[in-house]
Amino acid sequence: MTQVGGHHTERVRQRTHEGFLRHKGFRWAQIASLICLVAVAIYFFVAARLAEPPNGGSWLGYILGVVSAGLIVWLACLGVRKRVITAGHYSLKAWVSAHVYLGLSLIVLATLHTGFQFGWNVHTLAYSLMMLVIASGALGIWAYATLPQRLHGNRGETTRKQMLEALESLDKQLHDLALPLDRAGAQVVRLSLEETELGGSFWRRLTGAYGNCATSRALRQVKALPAPADPRQADALEKIETVLQQKADVLGLARRQMQITALLEGWLFVHIPATFALLAALTAHIVSVFTYW
Amino acid sequence: MAQEFHLKLITQRAGGGDPIVRERTVEKPELSIGRASANDIVLADLSVDPTHARMRFSGPGRISIESVSGLPFDLGGRQVQGAELNVASRPVVRFGAYTLAFEPADDDSAGVTVVRDDDEHHASPSVFSLQAKVFGRRNMAWVLGSGIFLLCLAFPMIFVLFMSNPKIHPDEQWSTGPLSKAHAFMAKDCKSCHTNAFVAVRDEACLTCHAAAPDKAPMALATAKRLGSPFEPRLVAEHAPHADLVKSTPLPPGLGAKVNVLVQRAFNHPTDRCASCHIEHTPAKGGPPSAPLSDKPKLVVVQDCESCHSELKMRLPKTGLIDTPDWSKHPGFRPLVMTEPGSAPKFQRVALDTAPQERNGLNFPHRLHLDPLGGVARQAIGLGKAAGYGAALECASCHRRDATGKTFLPIEMERDCGDCHSLAFARVGGELRNLPHGDVNKVIATLAGRSVAAPAGTDRARPGTIRPSAFAASGAGAYRATFSRGGACYDCHTVTWAGDTVQLAPVSLASRYLPRGAFDHGVPEHGGPGESKKGGFECADCHRAQTSDKSGDVLIPDLAKCGACHGKTTAQIAAADDADCTTCHSFHKPGQATPKPGHPPLETLRWTEALARRAAGA
Repeated sequence: MTQVGGHHTERVRQRTHEGFLRHKGFRWAQIASLICLVAVAIYFFVAARLAEPPNGGSWLGYILGVVSAGLIVWLACLGVRKRVITAGHYSLKAWVSAHVYLGLSLIVLATLHTGFQFGWNVHTLAYSLMMLVIASGALGIWAYATLPQRLHGNRGETTRKQMLEALESLDKQLHDLALPLDRAGAQVVRLSLEETELGGSFWRRLTGAYGNCATSRALRQVKALPAPADPRQADALEKIETVLQQKADVLGLARRQMQITALLEGWLFVHIPATFALLAALTAHIVSVFTYW
Repeated sequence: MAQEFHLKLITQRAGGGDPIVRERTVEKPELSIGRASANDIVLADLSVDPTHARMRFSGPGRISIESVSGLPFDLGGRQVQGAELNVASRPVVRFGAYTLAFEPADDDSAGVTVVRDDDEHHASPSVFSLQAKVFGRRNMAWVLGSGIFLLCLAFPMIFVLFMSNPKIHPDEQWSTGPLSKAHAFMAKDCKSCHTNAFVAVRDEACLTCHAAAPDKAPMALATAKRLGSPFEPRLVAEHAPHADLVKSTPLPPGLGAKVNVLVQRAFNHPTDRCASCHIEHTPAKGGPPSAPLSDKPKLVVVQDCESCHSELKMRLPKTGLIDTPDWSKHPGFRPLVMTEPGSAPKFQRVALDTAPQERNGLNFPHRLHLDPLGGVARQAIGLGKAAGYGAALECASCHRRDATGKTFLPIEMERDCGDCHSLAFARVGGELRNLPHGDVNKVIATLAGRSVAAPAGTDRARPGTIRPSAFAASGAGAYRATFSRGGACYDCHTVTWAGDTVQLAPVSLASRYLPRGAFDHGVPEHGGPGESKKGGFECADCHRAQTSDKSGDVLIPDLAKCGACHGKTTAQIAAADDADCTTCHSFHKPGQATPKPGHPPLETLRWTEALARRAAGA
């Protein structure tokens, strides 16, 4: 038994340790670093010897430009690649690993391609969009490296489905408990039932700012309600307060889950649109350069 | 039979399936509606008041509903406090999530179907995922991508390809950097240089404003003016005929550079264009990118002088140029020497080391004039300091610098020789009359019919005196006397007679002997004004005038003299300087030194009023 358990643990450890960042012992990190080092070395050797000021139009500029443009197109193909499932050498993990490190190497390659010349033009627009894509991608790496653990730590053993079911059940309890209440009492419960927003807007999810949550307000209002004379109502109100508190707790848990999920996914809302913008700007950059060369 | 309500309560099952239907009949004329369990119709909805409304028959087939709580209910989309319903029209009222649908029943009774809206939507776990309706990933991707494609590529491209004189210039965003100040006025009009899409800027575009050929220059200036240039363009001559340049230019040294040139040629981006060397849209090398651009396009040296001027004959057999692969192989000077003076003088380049003689028509011994102990020196001393002499003659006594200081004014007889060599021929009312110099016919006309006896005295012509022998030739006419030995003209001019008609050999003095190179006499080390470094030269160090008896001697130094400083190190001689081809030769004007960067300043190229008037045809 022990041995079987040991094997299992070993397998789990392997799986967790071999993320896309560490794929094949940082193979792609090494390849990307090598490319950058070679590019920097060639640049500083050649740039001083070029007749003209270094720019994208020198022979070195063209080489760096072709490599960078090719890389950008290949990196963008991850969106296509990830929809196809394969394994082995060209597994998706290998692709993502290469995507991350080669993408980062573009910071060096494309900057050298510019020859450090920037301006208010379509060329610098393409460069800026590329840097935006890379920056958002870097955020994504950070998110993927740290957030899944936080996500797990937050929810404990509760699944997302269970959280939703708990909320639903608590709402049902609140509804039924409030039926005997007078109008004012019912209003307070309705506030929580009808106005509570689980997720909310994009920014609310990212920032986790739910200060004005309807359930919290309802909870405050329940406590402020005058004690009803009817013992049945008084009993219901007491229970409602407890259930509202439970609901607030579950909401807090679910919302933290959502916030972490938002952080985990938010960068893609920049990364993907900026990539398309970049591909368009890159096309404009290349075509315009050869229109007026 | 009394009116009664047939109630039908339909409840949806939570898990789906057939709804639960409960029916009962209430034989009461009036029913209460509310959330509290004591009501006849219990509506378990918190938005319904514990006792919300009353409902009763108000006549045959008519039902009246009234709110007792003060809270409204919904009738046909309106919030009302009370309503009279005609059961036959099957009205529907709503309390919160409940719908009460009425229908006629037997005996004036009414059927009421109570249904709770099943608005319960179960949140799916996908609610945890980040969503954005308007700014979703896909939406934004398409909007941004196609927006940039349209604005930055398609739209400008339409202007480039199909608009000839557009009012706006969307292609401006394609500019890779600012233009030099000289060309900045064209910054918006990309097509003034980039005339054809996908074709590298050709020389024709540059030459529309810069052509130096005499037949094209006026048009070039006019074009620049029309395009709005604030500056007069510099007209630029080719270094040599373009076809010869193409033939004689080898591939640059180094494998990379060779490949670079060949690839560029293959992609229709030749490297022999104006724009190959004169680069726009790029900051000065090494300067901060924000620094203002220079006055003129950045110059990039693609080929150096040596690469073409080595083994030139192999690539261009017809050339008469001697190879100059480096300074040490620079050929000796071959001054351009006048071999025949006159109105159409003839010149020939003759090697300096063959001691060429120039036929300039002037009789002038430098030695005689520079001899510190000779008669000329004595006369100069006699003239005194007040007259600008007072000592033996020196070079500057006769050779005067021009305004630039780089070279000398042409010799003018009256100004440069006249202090000693008098042209006076008569005294009228105490004033001397001088012969006109420069035109023999005027001299003859002036002297016509005169026969003047010479006064007694020495035979030296000095200002203020008339040469005693000038007109005394045995009573002959002043005309013949003037051109004969002892006459005013005879010493310097070669005189021949054809019967009674005098003929003077025309005089043409060289101002330059080396038409393919520049020399700056203004440099202190070249004898110019100012403090010279140690080892610098005076006039006599280069020009051996003190030993020259003939004006035909070519008195320029040989190349070795230049080599005394040029190509030396400061350790060898303090006045050392570079031996760069460009010091004496420039590419577009080989007879001039390469202008210093920024020279002339752009301001001097500004259209002057005179130019403007010329353009206006005034």
